[in-house]
Amino acid sequence: MASFLIKSQNPTSSPFLLSPHPFIHSHLLQRRRHSQDSKMVKFLKPNKAVIVLNGRYAGRKAVIVQVLEGGNRDRPYGHCLVAGLAKYPKKVIRKDSAKKTAKKSRVKAFLKVVNFTHLMPTRYTLDVDLKDVVTADALSTRDKKVAACKETKKRLEERFKTGKNRWFFTKLRF
Amino acid sequence: MAPVKKTKKSTESINNRLALVMKSGKYTLGYKTVLKTLRNSKSKLVMISNNCPPLRKSEIEYYAMLAKIGVHHFNGNNVDLGTACGKYFRVCCLSIIDPGDSDIIKSLPGDQ
Repeated sequence: MASFLIKSQNPTSSPFLLSPHPFIHSHLLQRRRHSQDSKMVKFLKPNKAVIVLNGRYAGRKAVIVQVLEGGNRDRPYGHCLVAGLAKYPKKVIRKDSAKKTAKKSRVKAFLKVVNFTHLMPTRYTLDVDLKDVVTADALSTRDKKVAACKETKKRLEERFKTGKNRWFFTKLRF
Repeated sequence: MAPVKKTKKSTESINNRLALVMKSGKYTLGYKTVLKTLRNSKSKLVMISNNCPPLRKSEIEYYAMLAKIGVHHFNGNNVDLGTACGKYFRVCCLSIIDPGDSDIIKSLPGDQ
């Protein structure tokens, strides 16, 4: 009779929730609390592949190089430095000669500071070391930007030639 | 997962929990702020109404998948979700930052 009363007082009506033993319940609560704290997964981090949504490079894939979460005085919003593909490499087939593959594997890179709201993050990452090349300083003057673009182009082309990260180097069709 | 018949009781309990969050916790309403809280991982739970446009719904779900945050599909449209929040406007999606006294976070993600 007492057990029947306890059952009816159960606040949750879902049949899936069993009433656990009090010792186990507190242990589960503890573990769940810990998992709740670690649920704060930030995904806009360096090496994350993103798609630019606005601007001249809309629809292009890019990789986050540096993140400025809180923003700075010129840009009071969360933004990041991205390095992306202005021109994708063309499709290389087996038949192509070495000269043709070299021409087809060329890439044009762009560097940009983008607001987070103008990016679509993806589940892909691209770990190309661009931190030393792409800096906020590199975007200050035109010559520095051109030099940095050339260097990122070189690194991205290298990565394309290894055949890894194929998703990143294919054009997004829309 | 076995099909859970959404009985009237459980929808009421979700509404009760949501009301408690509105009273005691922190939340944001609306698509733009939901994405904002997802991006900086401040959100603990995201609720989407059932008439949310499918592209927007999948975008929010994708962001939540990246951020490992639970998404609950509210059993009602944006009018109902607005009413459940105690507001006089429609709410298509909302993000719970701090549940306050409510146990909505603990009970819901198993319920998705």
